[in-house]
Amino acid sequence: MRYCEKCGVHVIGSPPCCPLCQGPLTGEADGNGNVYPDIPFAGRPHQLLFRLLALGTVIAMVLCTAAFLCLPEHRVAALSGIAGLASGWLTVGIAFKKRGRPLKAVFWQVCVLSILVLAWDHGMGWRGWSLNYVLPVLYTCTMLAMAVIARLLHLRPSDYLLYLLLNILLGLIPLVLLLCGLLRTVYPAVICAAVSVIFLAVLILFEGPALKGELLRRLHL
Amino acid sequence: MKYAGFPRWSRLDNAAKIFPSNSSAKDSKVFRFFCELREPVDPQILQSALDETVRQFPFYCSVMKRGLFWNYLEDSSLRPTVSLENTPPCLSLYSPDRKGLLFRVFYFGRRINLEIYHVLTDGTGAAQFLCTLVHRYLLEKNPKDFSDSPPKLTYTASHSQLWDDSFQKYYEKPPLPKPALTRSAYRLRGERLPENRLSIVEGHMPVDALLTCSRARGVTVTEFLTAVLICAIHAQMRLRDKARPVVITVPVNLRNYFPSESARNFFTTINVGYDFSRRPDDLDAVTAHVHRCFRENLTEKRLHERINALCFLEHNIPLRLVPLLLKDWILRTAARLADRQATAAFSNVGKVTMPAEMERYIHLFGAFTSPDKMQASVCSFQNRYVVSFAGPFCSHDVERAFFRSLVQMGIDVEVAANLPYVE
Ligand SMILES: [Zn+2]
Repeated sequence: MRYCEKCGVHVIGSPPCCPLCQGPLTGEADGNGNVYPDIPFAGRPHQLLFRLLALGTVIAMVLCTAAFLCLPEHRVAALSGIAGLASGWLTVGIAFKKRGRPLKAVFWQVCVLSILVLAWDHGMGWRGWSLNYVLPVLYTCTMLAMAVIARLLHLRPSDYLLYLLLNILLGLIPLVLLLCGLLRTVYPAVICAAVSVIFLAVLILFEGPALKGELLRRLHL
Repeated sequence: MKYAGFPRWSRLDNAAKIFPSNSSAKDSKVFRFFCELREPVDPQILQSALDETVRQFPFYCSVMKRGLFWNYLEDSSLRPTVSLENTPPCLSLYSPDRKGLLFRVFYFGRRINLEIYHVLTDGTGAAQFLCTLVHRYLLEKNPKDFSDSPPKLTYTASHSQLWDDSFQKYYEKPPLPKPALTRSAYRLRGERLPENRLSIVEGHMPVDALLTCSRARGVTVTEFLTAVLICAIHAQMRLRDKARPVVITVPVNLRNYFPSESARNFFTTINVGYDFSRRPDDLDAVTAHVHRCFRENLTEKRLHERINALCFLEHNIPLRLVPLLLKDWILRTAARLADRQATAAFSNVGKVTMPAEMERYIHLFGAFTSPDKMQASVCSFQNRYVVSFAGPFCSHDVERAFFRSLVQMGIDVEVAANLPYVE
């Protein structure tokens, strides 16, 4: 075992100097005596790709802003470019961050997309296409997608029930808006609501106790 | 016992409730318990021992989930695999976006390392798990030596006893109003390691020499080492810092005061402060003061007050109704305020015992945790006393002063570190 004269301590393993005072050591090093692996400091592996993408986005945004300032006749296109890039980053970012929990990722994606779609519709002079078409179709598709993902990945009920239920509740919103007279197109909202109700019935009939258990857990005080 | 769709679940115990809000990459709330054998670890045998152990501690295979008001643990079908240690110590174990177990088992050379998220259990619970793991490992590794009468561990608690939340058992009356905030403590400064790395410095020493030193002063080893730590911190304080008291947080294992077999969290902390601007700075004076502090705080009445105060959070209806997102913020702020009142922590994990026939295969046990500030954790096994310092700082001034003063008292110290040279 090596020894530090200054500190008066024996040193385990084979460090090049005393861990306490960085001073020189005497005696034989024990190469097999190390109790911790030597892990070099290094940046995260995926950082380069991320940085390149981020740099590309910054350049594109700068170009869009420049176009906005220099070309008055193309202002709408320039603004759309900036908003599009921001939307893209938001959705891809969430998908990447929540990749370990697929249904949670899908549900978050649905929420963010809903807000983005409403914002885009609003920004382009509110013609109502978001509420009339996009959201009902989006909710219907994600309900089906969640069911497929849960099946394919053999998820346990406690891993998908909550998100499916929340999506079903979202799917009923277009119908409520339709009944309040806020929608002009009937079919998408009705189809979406019909799928929601059927899914809800399936959940209650086939997974009723599990659903109740999941709600009790998630809402326990 | 288990049906599809009917997972077993459980609330977080009282101490665990505050951990999720306060865990971050900087302070992962993960701690490590390790056992060093006399021979290199065999990964295959370790894996099969781990599979057995997990069967005995089924709730260790839980994942944590977020509810609307509280986090909770739910059992999962995930099972742990052992791996060669190839990451820095005490990396974060929980992320709301990833489904994963709240503990992991590494091996490196002769060491078996168990890392656990504090939500699952405290040091005593981890010791039970690690002892069981090592026990099974040694039984399988040396079948000939133990063939006629395999030695038994002393833990005999049932599943439900292990899964008990003992805080609930000893909560009785509405808590007293919180004491007023005390003066903020001196805080260690210095350059931090990059990548939120943790620097570990271990010192191994003989128990009997330590006992002689502390008995000569009429105190326990924990009190004596706490005093040495206070003096080591004092040695590197600048003159203008000395107006602030040095405060050491000492976790207390409540199982020593209130009967409990629980393998979950059951501890509280006391603070031991020393003000160098008003009191003498020699070790004997500090030791006497620490001894007095321990005696005043470690009474059953005082500890019962602490339990009731800790349970306040859980028995306060308006606070319980606050959504988790907001609770996270409240608990983080509270923890930051409490953090200002302590300089470092000194945690005595206690004495680990194994069946006598197995002791010759085991060199030592030790533990450390990932603190935001500095923490010294101590653990003893036979005549080996292991003090492990963990901290985020590049410099090792406190550790150096601590171990040098022990060496000066004639105690033999062996040192090991995870970052042997730091520029
Ligand atoms: Zn030295």
